[in-house]
Amino acid sequence: MTTPEGSPARAAGATVEFHGAREGEATLTWGQRLIWRAVHLMGDSQSFLNCPWVLPVYGRRDLATVLDALRVLLERHETLRTTFHGTPEGPVQRVRRDGRLIVDLVEAGQERALRAAERIAGELSTTAFVHDSDLPLRCAVVLKAGRPMALALTFSHLAVDFQALSLLAEEWKILLRGGDPPPADWHPMDQAALEREESFQARSARSIRYWRAVLEEAPLDVFDHSPGEPEDPRFIEVGMESVALAAAAETLAGRWTISTTSVLLGACATVLATVSGRQRAVMQLVHSNRRDPRTRTMIGNVGQDGLFVLDPSPSDGFADACREAHRAAFTAYRNAHYDPFAMQAMREEIGRLRGREPDLDAFFNDRRTIGTWPGVPRPASGEIADLTANTRTYVTNAWPGVRFKAFFTVGAATDTGQLSLIADTAYLPRETARAMLLGVESLLVRALDEDVPLAAVPRVCGVGPYAGTP
Amino acid sequence: MTAGRYRRALAELVAEVSDGAIGAEEALAGERSLSALGLTSVARVRLVDAIEDTFGVEVGLGGDWSSLESVDALAVLVSRAAEPGDRTAADA
Repeated sequence: MTTPEGSPARAAGATVEFHGAREGEATLTWGQRLIWRAVHLMGDSQSFLNCPWVLPVYGRRDLATVLDALRVLLERHETLRTTFHGTPEGPVQRVRRDGRLIVDLVEAGQERALRAAERIAGELSTTAFVHDSDLPLRCAVVLKAGRPMALALTFSHLAVDFQALSLLAEEWKILLRGGDPPPADWHPMDQAALEREESFQARSARSIRYWRAVLEEAPLDVFDHSPGEPEDPRFIEVGMESVALAAAAETLAGRWTISTTSVLLGACATVLATVSGRQRAVMQLVHSNRRDPRTRTMIGNVGQDGLFVLDPSPSDGFADACREAHRAAFTAYRNAHYDPFAMQAMREEIGRLRGREPDLDAFFNDRRTIGTWPGVPRPASGEIADLTANTRTYVTNAWPGVRFKAFFTVGAATDTGQLSLIADTAYLPRETARAMLLGVESLLVRALDEDVPLAAVPRVCGVGPYAGTP
Repeated sequence: MTAGRYRRALAELVAEVSDGAIGAEEALAGERSLSALGLTSVARVRLVDAIEDTFGVEVGLGGDWSSLESVDALAVLVSRAAEPGDRTAADA
């Protein structure tokens, strides 16, 4: 962790000792298997998968109270006491009953405490976890004049997904109030056992059949053009904050009786298809997969990817494409429940049959936990276009090797529409990535006034097929 | 069992998978489609899983999206899957 001059300084450390109710070893859950594979594919860039998070300290609480609440979280949730190990029989999770977490104590100095906590959480995330020895979280308590103001955390994605982090945030509030959170009686070891049951295996087999049918004829590449000279680092994340995007998506979702997620997904897929010079978009959807009632409140990682295909008729309009995206998303989510190791075996077989596996490195992830933006104004439809004057774009992150060609993410902000695109700059230059985000906004805003024919999308979006650098 | 007899249980499943965002009575009334009532894609997946677990049937859509848009249509779907030979007025 860096401590820039004039800003927060590390004060000391504290130790949180925990004594949980159970220890044990189990195979990985499907969600853990997905991340296990990603961790090993990403190598040095695997810190991309870390999950930074801030838990504000509500009210005036002393350090002992804050550390005790952290102890309770560690004791309640086995996933926070778990290490991950490769064995000759395959990877396993091992839950410790007892142990200790070393916590940094950091004075915020002149910096606002929550801002310092966000920055420190980001810094904690830059180092990869050693999964077979580290606890899957790192933590610092951010203090202001000695008073705890926030926890800055980062988690291994093997241990949590974003839904789990939201659940932890709710528990944290209850614990700081001195209350009793609901029982935590379902853990990843239980989930792993559930996933071995016949009904889950049948769903896995059905999902794999669906993926196979798509992969047998999906394009082999996200983009047909040859890679150009990439930036260094090669993968960048371009962000956009647009109130207009959110307001337009809400209006269109109401008009078309579909979710805002489907509207945004339809727009991102349409723009991706346009840039790739095809009618069809094939994308993976990051899916929380909290489908079983027991799984829904589990602190752990159950997310899996769905396979989404949008293949509208050239004569369709954008409204039809979004309705089709809504249906295709359902199909993708329904078939996002599978054993990733069995899925990989199938994908390798497809690779042998087709010469190589189709490249599925285009993604869409909606990180919101609710389908609306409560803090976004509700202007009349005709006034939404004016809001685009306030839209801003920026580059947020860069990595050497996260392996995505194009990865759209809808951010969790509730007062503006956040949309980002991680781009492989060998295939999508920075300006093209930025133009794609603005193109999504333009498409939604124009769709408020007319049903945009798909043939008109390049003109409306200001971005057409990209053929690579000459 | 006729399709009509599945309606109440299905409406309660709709309420459950939507975390109460859609009430069972609202779903039963059938005045608006489940999409119009706010059933998301993810909640719809939960609903199909719950139907399969509760009634021991496999839900095959065959591309017919309308089967997932009302409790009545779902009841017919479940009835046909659970009792393929049973055809009653409630199925009409």
